[in-house]
Amino acid sequence: MIFETLISQMPYLAHGLAVAIGLLVCLLSLGLVLGLILAILEVYGHWSLRLACVAFERVFRGIPAIVLLLLFYYGVTDYIDMGSFTAAVLALGLRSAAYQSQIFRGAFLSVPIGQMMAARAMGMNKLQAIRDIVLPQALRMSIGPWTNEFSSELKATSLAYVIGVVELTRQAKYIISNTQGNILIVFGVVALMYFVVNRAGNWALYRLENRLALPGFEHRGDA
Amino acid sequence: MLLRVENIHKSYGAVEILKGVSFEMAPGQSKVIMGPSGTGKSTLLRCVNHLSPPDQGRIFVEGEELTAKNLNTMRQKVAFVFQDFNLFTHLRTVENVAIGPRKLRGFSKSAALDLAYKELDRVGLSDRADAYPAELSGGQQQRASIARALAMEPKLILFDEPTSALDPELTGEVVSVMNKLASEGMTMLVVSHEIGFARKAADEVIFMEGGKIIEQGPPSQLFEAPQQDRTRAFLNVIEHGGDA
Ligand SMILES: Nc1ncnc2c1ncn2[C@@H]1O[C@H](COP(=O)(O)OP(=O)(O)O)[C@@H](O)[C@H]1O
Ligand SMILES: [Mg+2]
Repeated sequence: MIFETLISQMPYLAHGLAVAIGLLVCLLSLGLVLGLILAILEVYGHWSLRLACVAFERVFRGIPAIVLLLLFYYGVTDYIDMGSFTAAVLALGLRSAAYQSQIFRGAFLSVPIGQMMAARAMGMNKLQAIRDIVLPQALRMSIGPWTNEFSSELKATSLAYVIGVVELTRQAKYIISNTQGNILIVFGVVALMYFVVNRAGNWALYRLENRLALPGFEHRGDA
Repeated sequence: MLLRVENIHKSYGAVEILKGVSFEMAPGQSKVIMGPSGTGKSTLLRCVNHLSPPDQGRIFVEGEELTAKNLNTMRQKVAFVFQDFNLFTHLRTVENVAIGPRKLRGFSKSAALDLAYKELDRVGLSDRADAYPAELSGGQQQRASIARALAMEPKLILFDEPTSALDPELTGEVVSVMNKLASEGMTMLVVSHEIGFARKAADEVIFMEGGKIIEQGPPSQLFEAPQQDRTRAFLNVIEHGGDA
């Protein structure tokens, strides 16, 4: 019976889900740190740095995720020893950095110029002004668009399946071939799992956005 | 001299906005700069603390020349109050005032907050300390931004049209704070068309037009007996409620 199969295979699915979430957290973290640095360099940096950041962004946004995965796994592992999970974090994380840098750049640019001016006028250097004044405001504005990035990347983790990361989608494939299980039901359960994680993440980010919202700057109605 | 402004020139693109402006300020003095819109008054103030570095000319504060190197320490001596306040929107009023002492003057968190409450009290805003800027009226925001400037314990405060973004009924509370500061001996360089403030608090009024100082003198002289036709014409406009 397919349901018995499903129940007996549930630990594998749960493990796959954990790997997918682990991959998601790693790639989003890499993308967050690098994306912020890229955005700051793009908005406040010397033109040569700006150019380098734009080039990075264009490259990583211009190549399909699956090609990046294959490139990093087969291209780079020949020279640097790394497992498929690391290759997936790098490929998807760098790509996410390119997307996230766009989110943060937009947020930095939407902080009124007077904020930077007032900070500089009181004697803050550029870095202090960015860190203490502009960044806290920009980050608040980034949460909304960042929620979309979270969703896209959650879905993108399933692509890591092509380089052998045993995440949720690959576990589903194993279960189907090992048990001659019903494809539709197994993938139905997997789809539901992705969906639930996605909604939970969106809900948490929405809560965060509202909690950090400043009086006079709430920009979303009730969900 | 507390401030010496020496032959400042500044162009934006091909247009020369400031065409050689010089003046001095002694400690405790207040000066009011007036002049038609677009004449370079804001540009001049921004040159004084190098928010827009001048193309030519020099600025001295307490005898020390302002350069790219000492910029951030010198700016702590020269506070700036903006026309549109520019309070930090993510910080509560008291945090806006405390952040300078905290981050720039080496104050502990509690010492910075103590000072901030004291400065808020000076501008009559103690009861709004926990509000965010967006929850304050324009007049309150401007008073908070004056408190933020005061918390740096500056030698000189530059004011760029501090009341012109306010509804007329709110200008009074800001002007009275500025009057009080002037009487306490704060050195103030104020771009403003508030004739009442100029008469009461200014030691000297500077009239600017076309990027130059056209006329300067004590308020009584400049307002009662202006020497230049352009000064007279300008005063006519603002005294009769027109928009100069
Ligand atoms: N950052 C800038 N870039 C280009 N032009 C500017 C800039 N700031 C001011 N200007 C121009 O300089 C002139 C003087 O402006 P401003 O100093 O603001 O005059 P005021 O404060 O006397 O009204 C105006 O024509 C204005 O358009
Ligand atoms: Mg102006």
